[in-house]
Amino acid sequence: MTDLHWLSATDAAHAIGTGELSPVELTRTLLDRIGRLDPKLNVFIRLDADAAMHAAKAAESEIAAGRRRGPLHGVPVGIKDIIDVAGLPTTCHSKVLIDNIATADAVCVGRLRGAGAIILGKLSTHEFAIGGPSFDLPWPPARNPWNRDHHPGGSSSGSGSGLAAGLFPLALGSDTGGSVRNPASACGIVGLKPSYGLVPRRGVFPLSFTLDHVGPMTRTVADNALMLGVIAGHDPLDPGSAAAPDGHYAAGLERGVRGMRIGFVRHFHTEDTPADAEVAAGLENVAGSLRELGAEIRDVRLPSLDEFGAVNRVILQSEAWAIHSQWLRDRPGDYGKLARRRLMAGAFMSAGDYVQANRRRLEMIAAVEEALREVDALVCASAMDPACRIDDAVEIERTYPRQARTPFNVTGHPALAMMAGLSASGLPLSVQFVGRYFAEATLYQVARAWEREAGVDGKHAPI
Amino acid sequence: MDKAAIELLARRAGLDKALAEYPEDIEAAAVQAGASMARMKAPADPRAEPWPPMKAGTGL
Repeated sequence: MTDLHWLSATDAAHAIGTGELSPVELTRTLLDRIGRLDPKLNVFIRLDADAAMHAAKAAESEIAAGRRRGPLHGVPVGIKDIIDVAGLPTTCHSKVLIDNIATADAVCVGRLRGAGAIILGKLSTHEFAIGGPSFDLPWPPARNPWNRDHHPGGSSSGSGSGLAAGLFPLALGSDTGGSVRNPASACGIVGLKPSYGLVPRRGVFPLSFTLDHVGPMTRTVADNALMLGVIAGHDPLDPGSAAAPDGHYAAGLERGVRGMRIGFVRHFHTEDTPADAEVAAGLENVAGSLRELGAEIRDVRLPSLDEFGAVNRVILQSEAWAIHSQWLRDRPGDYGKLARRRLMAGAFMSAGDYVQANRRRLEMIAAVEEALREVDALVCASAMDPACRIDDAVEIERTYPRQARTPFNVTGHPALAMMAGLSASGLPLSVQFVGRYFAEATLYQVARAWEREAGVDGKHAPI
Repeated sequence: MDKAAIELLARRAGLDKALAEYPEDIEAAAVQAGASMARMKAPADPRAEPWPPMKAGTGL
């Protein structure tokens, strides 16, 4: 059997279900590894080891008695610390909420628990999912397991780092301007921003109501589909929740891409924000491989990254200002510098600017919908650079905005980022696949074809 | 946006404390906001509707 810490959730769930693997043994193995590696990676804000072991023992007894709760029974999961877990603090990695104890599980956490998952604890994030990586917060920032001197992306930084380090096989993240897909890109794991409204946001501290998405983060495409199947579904108490049908997300995983039409949004990384040479070569390699596997690859043009980014920021910062304005007035010193600067930007935008951005947003949605009428999925860049050093604030400021993720927060289409290969310096390169609304199953089909072809699910961080 | 305009808007938003303690952050926030708004195109059609569409009682 594979080392337990690299075991996929799918394989772990199967082995637990057949009695080959004890959830107690799996949880204890991961807790031991967390104890050794977390001091170097800063993945956890709050590790709930006792509760996890208690849940693992209960899972073992229940399964032995023939009572299987669901597809994740006995499988450990990490939760980004903007998402409520009953009885634990939801700090958002900020002094502002340092004593904020959640009284109930977020809907997505409740669904994971209902499926039998074991909650390990709360994971590092950029402050309020916007300000980071930062060294002026109550907890240090997470680091990249591929090279601890480099950042792991964000804002779901602990989720990405912990998966890549083999600390857990599943994690929850959130994505408002790319915060699931940035760590997926930097850490070489699989991160999905689902269609807007597919996964309920209730119990997740908001950054921007109309751009926020909760998404599954995993090491394999199959695990991602498995986890989405658990957390997706309508929530009548979330005003943005969609009444989407059950997606049968793993149904087409092994079907391949033969006969599919895939649009390559090449101008994102060749014209709008010219990518690092290794990233660009990696993207061409992915597109070429999909063509060799039988897909038809066509060039597709969308609005420019620059304008997508501007529309995203005006909407995000306006909505975030509405959420944070009172705290920023009363206790600005309780925020780190990056979050304070980014969250106060909304104070300098007008109601008219916000409405204008949302009018442009509808036009941009129409442009992406038009493109997706002609093709089954899109392939494009995620990050334009491999992760830079975490202590190089100037390079972080330069490279963080060099990405093609925000377009699909603006439009709400599902988008998945994963590894495209490794750079010469041994850091993950990334690719992004984008699908039609609620066609996550098709997206997984494309992503799995690439994963199988390139064997990227077998590449692990040297830690 | 000049310094006086930034200060006026910051005070109107109630950010007096931040203005006193973190004036460079106020300025950076105003610059960020101005840059984003400048990069956004106005819709070509004056009748263009905003997102989300008005669909009472339904989701997306």
